[in-house]
Amino acid sequence: MSISIVAIIILTLYVGIGQLDAISIQMGPYTPLFGGTITGLVLGDLQTGLIVGGTLQLMTLGVATFGGATVPDFLSGSVMGAAFAILSGKGPEYGIGLAVPIGLLLTQLDIVGRMTNTFFQHMADKAAEKGDYKGVERANLLGALPWMLTRMIPVFIGLTFGDHVVNAINAFIPEWVMVGLKTAGAILPAMGIAILMRYLPLKKYFPFYIIGFVLMAFGGANFSLLGAALVGLAFAGIYLLTKREAGAGSAATSNQSSTVYVDDEEVEIDE
Amino acid sequence: MSNETNKLTKKDIRKVYIRNLFGLQLGWNYEKMQGLGYAYVIMPALKKLYTTKEEMTKALKLQLGFFNTTPAMSHLIVGADMALEEEFGMSDPTAIAGLKTGLMGPFAGVGDTLFVAIYRAIIFSIASYMALSGQVIGLIIPIIACLAVLWVRYKFTYLGYVQGRKLATEFAGQMKAFTEGASILGLTVVGALIPSVINFTLPLEYKMGEVTLSVQDMLDKILPGLLPLGIVLFSYWLLGKKKMNSTRLIFVLIALGMVLGNLQNIFSFIASLF
Repeated sequence: MSISIVAIIILTLYVGIGQLDAISIQMGPYTPLFGGTITGLVLGDLQTGLIVGGTLQLMTLGVATFGGATVPDFLSGSVMGAAFAILSGKGPEYGIGLAVPIGLLLTQLDIVGRMTNTFFQHMADKAAEKGDYKGVERANLLGALPWMLTRMIPVFIGLTFGDHVVNAINAFIPEWVMVGLKTAGAILPAMGIAILMRYLPLKKYFPFYIIGFVLMAFGGANFSLLGAALVGLAFAGIYLLTKREAGAGSAATSNQSSTVYVDDEEVEIDE
Repeated sequence: MSNETNKLTKKDIRKVYIRNLFGLQLGWNYEKMQGLGYAYVIMPALKKLYTTKEEMTKALKLQLGFFNTTPAMSHLIVGADMALEEEFGMSDPTAIAGLKTGLMGPFAGVGDTLFVAIYRAIIFSIASYMALSGQVIGLIIPIIACLAVLWVRYKFTYLGYVQGRKLATEFAGQMKAFTEGASILGLTVVGALIPSVINFTLPLEYKMGEVTLSVQDMLDKILPGLLPLGIVLFSYWLLGKKKMNSTRLIFVLIALGMVLGNLQNIFSFIASLF
């Protein structure tokens, strides 16, 4: 199966918009989850797209650009990975295996984009000297170009030529590497989870982590992640409630118990 | 100095809010980070407040300075900044610079935990989980959550504007309780995520005459999801190491996958040596 020029253009435009989403409201198109899914939709294999996107998303849950750090470009990776998986018909694991190195490779372009924008900062500084606020505004808007082009160009080139190159490379890859890549694809979400554990106060609240794990490990098919989230929400509520009552002091507690007594008596009278 | 006729209207604040959503990071660069974007965001207020070229130049130079914080939290700072400039104009630029640099650090600390780490842990793990089970509908979850965040960010702009400089201390206290609750929810989801998304079973069988033992079955009897948990804890431990970062961890996990995936072959290879 080969890719049509229309599909290439749609996906190229999509990563441009996705990158704008990443640096603005972060609604979703910037994530590998959407990247894989949209690619699947455009190329007519939604299932493969969903699995490639979902797996990459889990892998990169904790990978976020804190304080302007550069992270691998898994949006472009997910688009190309899902596309190659669908075009070659080799299944989603193959796409995940490809998306990871592609994302890593494109890390460099993110740095190039952020460096290029320094030029626009200087442009704005010069405009500011003259009190030219329109010049400052223009400089900031132009900053969108490096962001978008550093994503759109590689995806366009990758989708146009990658098909053949990827197929040629595949012919050379031995079986054990393919098996290894598939296994790696299965365990890579561990990274996203581990990074999140580093950011969240695990040492303080570890019991809730254990509860979450046990619920799903033993609950398996009878339980869902949304269910676990609701249990977590309940615990958060209980924790805050207990804390507030403890904070109100023991005096409040004794008051409450007497109130309960009064209530009980009232009920008895009614009967 | 601002004069009485130059007061900010609701419309001005709304314009700043919209620019804050879409423009704060367009011009992100290594020199001033969100500095260029910040000047762009607050521009509708500057245009209203400063009518002379002299004042405008002064304001632009100030606002183009270094700035970086969690975008969701920036609204509070921009709001407070607008209130200050409306009151004092450019008579005291150091106060404004102090407000911006003083708040961006602590706000980034809270904001990165709440709006980035915990937010993603909860929203995107549920959405991805649904995607893996083939449900496209899961993609609506991040979109709905985003709309809620947009509303919060809208409120933040006004909160910052109304509270002005006071907000720093008071707000941090309220945020703390909320962050604690969100952490508990986040960690429960993260724990639950392990067995549900790491679909790894050990492809290893042990043959003794007629009997074939699957190592995975034996592990499941001890604790289902034992290996995924082990791999996660191993990654967690590695990330605590000084020279480890997420990019290097990817290579470690790929190498681990290569070994685990080919374990049967490796064992039979070793066995063939004897």
